[in-house]
Amino acid sequence: MERYLMTHSLLSSWLYAIQESPYEDATSTRDSFAEFLQVLRREPTQTTEAMQNGIDFEDLVTAIVRQDAAGMKKNPEWFDAAGRIANIVRGASLQHRARKTVEVYGMNFVLYGRLDALKAGTIYDVKYSGSYERGKFFNSTQHPMYFELVPEANDFVYLISNGKEVYQEHYRRDEVADITVIVGDFVLWLTENGLLEIYKQHWKAL
Amino acid sequence: MIVKPETMTFAGKKVRILIAGFPGIGKTTLALSAPKPLYIDVDLSAERINREILNLAVGVTQPRDYAELRKDLGMDCNEMELQAVRANLADFETIVIDTGGKLLTIMGQYGRVIEPKYGQKDGSLSLKGYGWLGKEFQRFMDNIIYRLDKNIVIVFHTVEDKDGDDTKLRIKAEGGAKNAVWEVMDLGGFMEMRGNQRTIGFSNCERYFAKGTRGIHGVYTIPELEPGEPNDFLTKLFAKYNEVSAKEAARAAAERAAYDEAMTAGYQVIATIVDADTANAAIPKMKAIKHALTSEKELAVAFNGQIKNLSLFYDKVLKEYTPAPEGK
Repeated sequence: MERYLMTHSLLSSWLYAIQESPYEDATSTRDSFAEFLQVLRREPTQTTEAMQNGIDFEDLVTAIVRQDAAGMKKNPEWFDAAGRIANIVRGASLQHRARKTVEVYGMNFVLYGRLDALKAGTIYDVKYSGSYERGKFFNSTQHPMYFELVPEANDFVYLISNGKEVYQEHYRRDEVADITVIVGDFVLWLTENGLLEIYKQHWKAL
Repeated sequence: MIVKPETMTFAGKKVRILIAGFPGIGKTTLALSAPKPLYIDVDLSAERINREILNLAVGVTQPRDYAELRKDLGMDCNEMELQAVRANLADFETIVIDTGGKLLTIMGQYGRVIEPKYGQKDGSLSLKGYGWLGKEFQRFMDNIIYRLDKNIVIVFHTVEDKDGDDTKLRIKAEGGAKNAVWEVMDLGGFMEMRGNQRTIGFSNCERYFAKGTRGIHGVYTIPELEPGEPNDFLTKLFAKYNEVSAKEAARAAAERAAYDEAMTAGYQVIATIVDADTANAAIPKMKAIKHALTSEKELAVAFNGQIKNLSLFYDKVLKEYTPAPEGK
């Protein structure tokens, strides 16, 4: 049986698109929907400034953990905050890849994720956010997806920084939605909107 | 004193709790249900509070400004002065701050006095000022917990915040300080009316993002007080918190010890891998490790990393590691 890749980023892009189109109108020409179609077709997307900040901040954390002198020199204004996060994830398995096959509505999906850090039953995800508000990640598909990928983990902690302050947003396994339900909703939505074939075409797992 | 993690009990730990809710829902009454409360009326609203409720406090103070409050609570004082402050506060087990929003306001005013750079011309705080405010709030809380050894109940008004079609409840506090406030709390609950019952919720939901730890999760109904009944909801909650803390700490320590043992054993085996033969010899040893938490996944990554470093190749026919074929 064919298997299809499913990532948090794809689900996130879909949720953002339908949130912007409250009536889930697939004929919408809004950018968020166009962006979702781009992701669905696995076309390269442009890296925004916010995305680049996220990548650079995470690289700095990794450089501090690995004592990589060259990497630690970049973005010195973030060093203190990145150092505090590095202290938390030091000793963890960094960029930990995880996958798991699940069956939803008769289709096989390979859930896939790259965890920023995994240590002693806790999954950590590093975020750079210039406008963080507590509870920001409540509706994210990331922690439900990663909990499914790592059944031994009991806690998920977002480590969030604006480059100066560091905040933690903590989720327990027992308070998080079942990702397979979200995947199921996604499949139904793709079917209803005639997009399932596009998904199947571009997200076939090897 | 340094002790082994597994011997830590967390029993009798002082609790930091945030209570948020709309005016009139009964936040002050609930706050004063903590053990032996000293009511710090930062809002200067004690005269508006029903006398019966106010009488629930063991003591009341109305600081004129933050400098006075700092002095009353012995912040920045030397050890001798601290002894006097402790003696003065000996009758109290809990410091109740009403409201946290007002506390942040007077803290900000104090900050602008001690350092003009913390303020802006329009009287609001600068970015640096907000940074200082977050840190000062943490110092304030740490002083109560660690130097004075008291519980803390901090009361916040709630505001509604539109988020798309949803309405979220948030605490009423100055700008960036909102996030900093939550960081130092053990518990944070939103009070709401459900039907004709007052409730406090400690679990995250679509309406608010609360904070529950150590077995305190979900929505609790706050009982209506009958005449003569003790106002002890938070006293009981703190006792439950500490009871669960002790049990959770014991369980977590056991899990952590098993995890550490597995990780140590795993890294010792991985350290012996220097070629294909030692890699093959390591497989049964790795399989024999008794795993806990995420040790199996973490060690698998470390093992595979070592195999990759040595350019070894897993031969699926022979079912063993061999040096990588030429050209690979």
